[in-house]
Amino acid sequence: MIRAENLTKRYGDTTVVQDLGFTVRPGAVTGFLGPNGAGKSTTLRMILGLDAPTRGHATIDGIPYAAHTAPLTRVGALLEARSVHPGRSAYHHLMALAHTHGIPHARVERVLALAGLTGVARKRVKGFSLGMGQRLGIAAALLGDPATVILDEPVNGLDPEGVLWIRTLLKSLAAEGRTVLVSSHLMSEMALTADHLIVIGKGRLLADTTVDELVRTSGGASVKVVSPEASRLRSLLPGAGFTVEAPDTLVVTGPDAPEIGRTAAAHGVPLHELTPQAPSLEQAFMALTHDSVEYQGAPA
Amino acid sequence: MTTPALTHARVLRSEWHKLWTVRSTWTTVLTAAALLLGVGILMGATYTSDGGDSDVDTVVLSLYGSQLGGIALAVLGILVTAGEYATGMIRASLTAVPRRAPVLWAKAAVYTATVFAVSFLTALLTFLTAQVFLSDTDQAASLTDDGVLAAIAGNAAGVTLLGVLALGLGATLRSVPGAIGAFVGGVLIVPEILGMLPYEAMDTALRYFPTQAAGALGSATPLAGAAAPGAALLALFLWAAAALVVPAWLLRRRDV
Repeated sequence: MIRAENLTKRYGDTTVVQDLGFTVRPGAVTGFLGPNGAGKSTTLRMILGLDAPTRGHATIDGIPYAAHTAPLTRVGALLEARSVHPGRSAYHHLMALAHTHGIPHARVERVLALAGLTGVARKRVKGFSLGMGQRLGIAAALLGDPATVILDEPVNGLDPEGVLWIRTLLKSLAAEGRTVLVSSHLMSEMALTADHLIVIGKGRLLADTTVDELVRTSGGASVKVVSPEASRLRSLLPGAGFTVEAPDTLVVTGPDAPEIGRTAAAHGVPLHELTPQAPSLEQAFMALTHDSVEYQGAPA
Repeated sequence: MTTPALTHARVLRSEWHKLWTVRSTWTTVLTAAALLLGVGILMGATYTSDGGDSDVDTVVLSLYGSQLGGIALAVLGILVTAGEYATGMIRASLTAVPRRAPVLWAKAAVYTATVFAVSFLTALLTFLTAQVFLSDTDQAASLTDDGVLAAIAGNAAGVTLLGVLALGLGATLRSVPGAIGAFVGGVLIVPEILGMLPYEAMDTALRYFPTQAAGALGSATPLAGAAAPGAALLALFLWAAAALVVPAWLLRRRDV
């Protein structure tokens, strides 16, 4: 269980994280979501004690990370930036970390196999691809068989097979009762893996919710209507919002599909298609974080 | 199987493992040993009794190469600490040992033991090899002669403590080129420049600067204008200790 309270980080005048508070519970995959520069990595680094908060604090199972007697068995972490000596082999990298806790050699071999690195374990990390580097980072995170797993952008640089592997791994870790916190700036990825979502923007909490809930509250659904008398239908639905996709195709917000259907039937408007559309999670995320995107593209 | 948990001994074991699983350790250690031995053989082979070097201490003469070799070992010290910041390894190290300071102490301990052992054994070998050439000159000496063994050990201690100083600079500056620059400039060159100043008090103070103190430790006969070996060892020890206390204090406070 991870708990953050009033977590704040300032660098000079710049506030990177502001009064962030949340709880990450065991047994579920929690997505930590936000645009680039939202403060995700800084927050994770504060949880791990690598960065000191300007204010507030974070605890793992009730006490600060650094206060644990066997930190690697409580939390395993994959950080965003590569944290490996390129001249050391994957095996020796993991063994060096394992020695600090007296973790046996067999466990090192086990996590190497789990990450699919057995074949390259004795090779120097220098020659690893981005994806292999991520796999090594994940092997290191699992080294202590930790109750809490924190992964910062784990799918970065992974091929489709690797992405699928991460998804399955995250779900199985959560199913084993572990606390799993995964950061990403890709909503679509989180939609497939996360049960719970913590969304931040410009260092502030925007939402602490479930995936379904986020979709439901983000501006509601719309209905796609195809009719040869589209413009007449528009005049029959006062107060509704319309997006004209084609001369005969409308996307209607406001009234739901049954209401549009009833209105059309009552006035003899033929309908060729009447399709309720749920907003994609991506759209929900964009709507939520629109005002807090740090680097916004200007129109050309 | 014992329960996994952090202990100081295990952190030490981890740093030992780290030290010997990168090539730079082998490169710097073997370079230092080769320089010490090579220069020693050169000094021995080219020595003549009437060449004007008769007043040079035998151990100092044989171990001239330790100044060059010492630089290679200082670079190793810097790589051990600042190198982890360059590669990002420090984030993994300090996540595994979040109390942080034990990592620095373990690095210093592992480095000290390794560098002293290598320096002492190579210096012994170099002295004995040089004596093969020097035995029929006025520089003939044996290990049992007064002060010889102490000077060989002193030379190794000097090289080691200068290296610890470099290791501390690396941990403080967190940059390999920065720390090498600071070591060469601040520790090796600045005292030479200060020595040119015409002040008596400066000369006395300089005796206790790291390189001068290390020099005094490595002579079997008392050097003119140098500190006594005991005082030199104490001074050098304090320099090295200060160079570790500063980054230990900073390590607690700085973000990684």
